[in-house]
Amino acid sequence: MTSRYFGERVLRLEDTRLLTGRALFVDDVQLPGMLHVAFLRSDEAHARITSIDVTAARTRPGVIAVYTAADLGDYWRPGPLLVPPPPIQGLVFNTATQVPLAKDKVRHAGEPLAMVVAESRYVAEDALEDIQVDLEPLPAVTELEAALAEGAPLVHEQFGSNLAAQVRQTKGDYAAARATAHTIITRRFHYDRGASAAIENRAVAAQWDARAEELTIWDTTQAPIPIRNGLAPMLGLRESQVRVIAPFIGGGFGPKIMMYYPEEVLVPWAAMRLQRPVKWTEDRRENFYATTQERGQLHDAELAVAKDGTILGVRDRFLHDTGAYDPYGLTVPINSQCTLLGPYVVPNYESEFTAVFTTKPIVTPVRGAGRQHGVFVMERLLDFAARELGIDRVEIRRRNLIPRDAFPYDHEILFQDFRPLVYDSGDYQAALDKAVEVSGYARFVREEQPRLRREGKHIGLGVVSYIEGTGIGPYEGARVTIEPSGTVRLATGVGTQGQGHFTTFAQIVADVLGVTPDAVQVTTGDTREFSWGSGTFASRGAVVAGSACHAAALKVRDRILTVAAPLLGVPGDELEISGGQVRVRGATDRAIGLGELARKANPLRGAVTPGTEPGLEATAYFGPDRGNTANGVHAIFVEVDPETAAVTILRYVVVHDCGTVINPLVVEAQVQGGVAHGIGNSFYEQLSFDENGQLLNASFMDYLLPTALDVPTVEMAHLETPSPLNPLGTKGVGEAGAIPTAAAFAQAIEDALPDSGLEITEMPLSPCRLYELLVAARERRTDA
Amino acid sequence: MIVEGNYLLPGSPDAIWDLLMDPAVLAKAMPGTRTLERVEPDRYEGVMRVGIGPITAAEFALGIVLSDIQRPQRYAMQIDSKGRFGFTRGLARVELVPEANGTVMRYSADLQIGGKIAALGQRLLESVSKLLLRQGLEALNQELQTRLGGAPS
Repeated sequence: MTSRYFGERVLRLEDTRLLTGRALFVDDVQLPGMLHVAFLRSDEAHARITSIDVTAARTRPGVIAVYTAADLGDYWRPGPLLVPPPPIQGLVFNTATQVPLAKDKVRHAGEPLAMVVAESRYVAEDALEDIQVDLEPLPAVTELEAALAEGAPLVHEQFGSNLAAQVRQTKGDYAAARATAHTIITRRFHYDRGASAAIENRAVAAQWDARAEELTIWDTTQAPIPIRNGLAPMLGLRESQVRVIAPFIGGGFGPKIMMYYPEEVLVPWAAMRLQRPVKWTEDRRENFYATTQERGQLHDAELAVAKDGTILGVRDRFLHDTGAYDPYGLTVPINSQCTLLGPYVVPNYESEFTAVFTTKPIVTPVRGAGRQHGVFVMERLLDFAARELGIDRVEIRRRNLIPRDAFPYDHEILFQDFRPLVYDSGDYQAALDKAVEVSGYARFVREEQPRLRREGKHIGLGVVSYIEGTGIGPYEGARVTIEPSGTVRLATGVGTQGQGHFTTFAQIVADVLGVTPDAVQVTTGDTREFSWGSGTFASRGAVVAGSACHAAALKVRDRILTVAAPLLGVPGDELEISGGQVRVRGATDRAIGLGELARKANPLRGAVTPGTEPGLEATAYFGPDRGNTANGVHAIFVEVDPETAAVTILRYVVVHDCGTVINPLVVEAQVQGGVAHGIGNSFYEQLSFDENGQLLNASFMDYLLPTALDVPTVEMAHLETPSPLNPLGTKGVGEAGAIPTAAAFAQAIEDALPDSGLEITEMPLSPCRLYELLVAARERRTDA
Repeated sequence: MIVEGNYLLPGSPDAIWDLLMDPAVLAKAMPGTRTLERVEPDRYEGVMRVGIGPITAAEFALGIVLSDIQRPQRYAMQIDSKGRFGFTRGLARVELVPEANGTVMRYSADLQIGGKIAALGQRLLESVSKLLLRQGLEALNQELQTRLGGAPS
C-alpha cells in the first residue's frame, strides 16, 4: 500500500458539518404532522401495579393516544436477549429482559408505565399528570450482598432468588500456588455506578410511508442494522421495508447499543398505528433512569506473591450489579474477569462472579465495560504487595509483565467474544519504560517528591498498566463505489457517535484508490446504504469496519486496473493509481480519470460481453478470528490538600499502543476523552441510590461531571505493535483512556499522603468521601 | 429521612389532643396544606403544596390515617402523599408528656421520599423539612395560645 494519508494527522472531515450546525441529529428530524411522545415513569423502585387509569389523559385536547401495557396486545413482549452467555462450563444464567411498558410490576424507578402521544411534547407531558396510577410498594433491592441473602425481596419471583448469573473460570491451581506464597494480599474492593452522560440523550423518530409501505426510523443507536433486523419482524414487516438511520450522534459510550429500549420499540409501533410521524427525545432527567448504566461491583480478591514480587496467583470472587434486567448477558462481568489479568503473567487464577438483580436501572456496557474493575483490583493488589514487600511499584509491575516474545499469549480462559483470551501482540515492557521516561518517574521519586514534601506540598504520582480487549467480531462490511463525478462513495454499517469514522475510513480508502481523503464520501449507520453488520462497540470500529473498508477498496482497485488496462493498452500491473487518475507507470500523458473510468465501466449496448459487471464498485467484509489486545500505561500527578481532601490533577501522561495508528489526531482525541471519562468515574460521577432504590442525584446540579477545568491536557506517546489479526494492524482505542484512570488516581492519592495510612479500595471517590477515608485512616493510626 | 424532636406547648395534654385532632389546626401545623378534611374518624384527606429547590409549588394528594390512639398520651399517623413530583410516605408518632409548664410534644417520623422530589430536591430536603417543621410547630403553638387564651369566652 502506498501510504500517503494512513497514519497522518488528517483534520477531521466531519467537523465542518458538526461545527456549522449542518449535521443531522435525531432531534433535528421534523416532519409534517409529527406527533410527540412523553412517558409516564414509575416513581417507585419496586412495586406491584394495582391500576393505571388513563381515561382522563385520553380526553385532554391535543392528546392523540395513550397506551399502557394492556393496550399493546401481542406487541407487548420482553425484549430479546442481546448477548447470550458464552459457553463456559457450569455457567448459570437467568434471563430476564426488559419489557416495553411495565405490566404487573415495576422493577426500578423510572421504568415506563404509560406512553402518551400528543400534538406537542408540552401536551404530552401535561397529559402525564392526568394518569392515575396505583402502585403497591414493595421493598427495594439495592445492596448486592443483601440481595442474595435468604428472604430478600425478589426482583423476579420466578427465579426464587436474585441471582442473575454465576460464572467460574480458572487457570492453573490457585490453592497450590497460594500454599507456596511468601505474602498474600487480601482486600475487598467496591466500584459504584455512574451514568454514561453522553452530551446527546437518546431519541427516536419514525415515519410510516403507507404508499411505499416503508418505515423509516431515525435512532440514536450504535447498532442500526441489528435494530432494523429486530424491529422488522416485531412490526410484521420485511427487513427491506424498514430503514434505520443512525445519523450524527452526540456520544454513544455503550448504552446506545442495540438495546431495543422501550422507547425504541414503541415509537415506530405508534407511528405505524397512528399513520403519522412520531418522535420522542429523552430529557436529561429521564436519561438518569431510562438509559442503561454501569459499574456496580463488589470484589473480594486475593493476590499470592513470592518474596521478589512475582505473581503466583490471583483469586477473585465478585458480585456484579446487573440492575433490574439482564438483556446484555454477561459482557460486563466477563470483561472484569478477563481484564483483571492485565499485562501480567498470572500462572494461577480462580475467578468466580455472581450477577445480581437489583431494583435499579439496567446495567449494560459503558465505555470500559467492566474492564476498569478488573484493572482497579489487580493494580491495587500490586500496589499493596509492593508496599508490603518493599518493592518499587514500577518494579513489581515490570517483574510480572508478559515478555515481548511470549505472544500470542494464552490466558486459558474465555473472553466476552466467546473466544479464548489470547493476547495477539504487544510490548508491555516498552510501554512501561516509555511511561517512566515521559513522566520522569525516577527523578520525581528520587528528587522532586522529597523536595516538594519538605516544602509542605503533597504531590503524588500513580503509574498503572492495563490491557484492553478490542476489535471483536463477528464482522463488518463496506461498499466502495467510484461515481462518474470522480467522488468515491464509501458505505459501512457501523453507526458513528463522534469517533472520526468519516476521516479514518476515508484515509484507509484514499490511500488504496490514490485519491485525497476529502474525495471519499463516507456514509455510516444507514441500513439502506449498507445492510449487513453488527455495530459500534468494544472499540471495534477502526479494526473491524476499517479492515472491511480496506478490503472493499482493494477490490475496487482491482476493478480499476481491470477496466483501465485495455483502455490504456497495457497490462494492469503496468498501471498506477494516484491523484484521482489511473495511468501508465512512467508515462504521465497516458492516463484516465477515475470518474471517466467509472462512466466507461457502465457499458453501453454492444459493448458487453457475457460476464461483464458494471461499475467500479465492490463490497467486502471482515471478521477477525478473535479480538485483539491493546495496552498502555497511565501516569498521573496529583496534588492533595490533606485538610480538605481536594485533589488537583497536575499532569496526566498516557503511553498507549493501539497497534498501527490510522490518524494520531483521532487517537489522541479518543484517549483524551476517555481520560476525561475516567476522571469523572474516579472523582466526580456517582449515582446515589437510597435504601428504597430512589436515585438522589438525577440532575447535573447534583451529579457532577468533570469540566474542562478538572481535566488536564493529556501528554501522549504512541507505541505501535501491529496486530497480526487484521491487514491494517490496528487495535481499538475508544475505551482505553477510561479504563485505568481510577487505579492510577488511587495510587497517586496514596502516594501524595504516604504517612496518612490511607488505603483506597473503592471508586468513585469525591472530595467528601476521600475526606471521610482520610479521617478514618487517621483514627485507625491513632488507635493503633 | 428521619425527623424527630420535642416541642413544649402550653396547656394540658387533653387540650392539645383536641387541637391536634382538628383538621383546621392540623392543616396549620403542616405548612403548605391547602385543604384537609376529616373523612372518617381516624382518616384525613387533603391537598398540600410545597416547594423544594428547583421544584416549585409541587402539589400532593395527602392522606393521613391515625392508629394506636391512646388519648391523650400518644397516636401514630400513617402519612401518604403523592403527586406528579413524587411521593412521601411513612409513619409518624406523636407523644404528649405533661410537664410543669405545659406539655411536651415528642414527635418522630421515618419518611420515605421518592420520585422527582428525591431526585432533584435531595440536597434541600432536610433543610426544607426542618423549616416546614419549625413553621408548623410555631403555627401550632400560636393556635394553641389563641384558642386557650380565648377559651373562657
